[in-house]
Amino acid sequence: MITNNPSINRKQELPLKDDTSGIFLKVMISIAVFLFAVTLAGVLSINSMLNAWNESILGSVTVQVMPVNSADQKKAKQETMDHLQKTIEFLKKVPEVEHVRALNDQQLAKLLQPWLGDGIEIENLPTPKLIDVKLKSGAEINFAKLAEQLAAVSPLASVDNHKLWLNKLIKFADGLKMLALSILFLVVAITSGAIFYTTQANLGVHRYIIEILHIMGAKDTYVAQQYARQDAWIGFVGGCIGLAFAIPTIFMIAGLADQIEGGIISDAKLSWLSWLAIACLPLLSAMTAMGTAYYTVKKTLEKMM
Amino acid sequence: MLRHSDIGNPVVIDMKNVGIRYDLGPEVLSDINLSLRKGSFHFLTGKSGAGKTSLLSMMYLAQKPSRGVLNVFGKNVNFTNRDSLALLRRRIGVVFQDFRLIDHLSAFDNVALPLRVCGMGEKEVKKRVKELLQWVELDKHMFDRASTLSGGEKQRIAIARAVINRPDILLADEPTGNVDNDIARKLMKLFIELNKLGTTVVIATHSEKLITDFAYPRLHLNDGNLRIFMPNEGLRGGMRTI
Repeated sequence: MITNNPSINRKQELPLKDDTSGIFLKVMISIAVFLFAVTLAGVLSINSMLNAWNESILGSVTVQVMPVNSADQKKAKQETMDHLQKTIEFLKKVPEVEHVRALNDQQLAKLLQPWLGDGIEIENLPTPKLIDVKLKSGAEINFAKLAEQLAAVSPLASVDNHKLWLNKLIKFADGLKMLALSILFLVVAITSGAIFYTTQANLGVHRYIIEILHIMGAKDTYVAQQYARQDAWIGFVGGCIGLAFAIPTIFMIAGLADQIEGGIISDAKLSWLSWLAIACLPLLSAMTAMGTAYYTVKKTLEKMM
Repeated sequence: MLRHSDIGNPVVIDMKNVGIRYDLGPEVLSDINLSLRKGSFHFLTGKSGAGKTSLLSMMYLAQKPSRGVLNVFGKNVNFTNRDSLALLRRRIGVVFQDFRLIDHLSAFDNVALPLRVCGMGEKEVKKRVKELLQWVELDKHMFDRASTLSGGEKQRIAIARAVINRPDILLADEPTGNVDNDIARKLMKLFIELNKLGTTVVIATHSEKLITDFAYPRLHLNDGNLRIFMPNEGLRGGMRTI
């Protein structure tokens, strides 16, 4: 029976599988996906870092109470404690505040340890007292008004909402993010351009067959679909190769980042959703290659014939 | 032959003052006026370079005229979009002088091409192609690559490809040039059978024997101008413009 004959399997009219340009495209796409994956991991990490920083800005306030200066240390200490108490009492009454906690001497010593070393007697030093204020979830507080009210309660109290120093970091991280996004855009544009010109050149190579197909009544979509199918496969395989190199690279960079102390970089964690996005890159590269090839064939054939 | 029954048939190819030129060169064909009715049969003759291929290429919609009006199946090709032109081409079978087979495909895949382009199911494709390859006595070479076939075999494959979807118009450029007399007669019989079923046939040929053996009107191209001669008139007799 002819239907069971394996030799009768349909062969593509355009011999795109045998084209050497396919190898070039695979290499090109794998490099592009590698760069894309590493950069995307960077963007997503920066994003998670920014979110963590923003959360910390929005969720808490630090109030500091400066020590009273006096020759009589005992009196000065007592007056400082009175100011601290008044400030805590006031803060507890603020509606947006959920929790108020004064840092004890041990905690203060731990904060100063990187600068002053171990074994410091914090009670003998004129250090400010710190109050950690947790805000209610979603609460928005007017810091200027709070600072004004605090000054009325205690002239020694002032608000540090972390914004000042974090703002500089956030600006820097935002800049990095924009740079990374530009790289992502460039990678997609260059890859699409490479696919566009390779496909155009390839159409010239197979012009003879395409003319026959047209004379037989093939629509442009018939030709475009053959290119789109082939390039989708190239895009997928290239994407998988690029991803296979990118994942160990991302882990290596994450390992290096973990070695940096200070707790700022450690906020840059990739969620499972971010990993899922990275894992989907071969599909994205397949779709990009397919779409670009389809569009290129349609547009080129309109001009060519 | 112009049969009485053809006269009332619809015009399938209609050319009015058609001219064609390539780039800025001189006109290859000038002021061609021609109406081919459904079911008609014509030979197309003329010296090499007279414009036969250009005329045929306009008929199978590979080229648009540089001037004038060309209607195929009642549609003005200058105002027909690309997809609609593709649908019109599916109704036209073409046999090229140089066969134009796709070398890396088998004889089977080459013949199946017009059916697959139309989106026909593979079961029906296999049935039809097998039948036709048997008819042109090439079923033994069904799985051979086109590039490995002889000139005569390629020609039969090209003809099988042109007629596989039972076209409304069949245009053939020297279809019997590379085959022996027996096969040539058999192929002519196929064209005549298709013509009887209503296919409009135009055969470009240099073979005087073919023209005298089969009494059909002749379209003759000379210096880019077209004349018609009735059967057995010869080129000096009853010349008329069509």
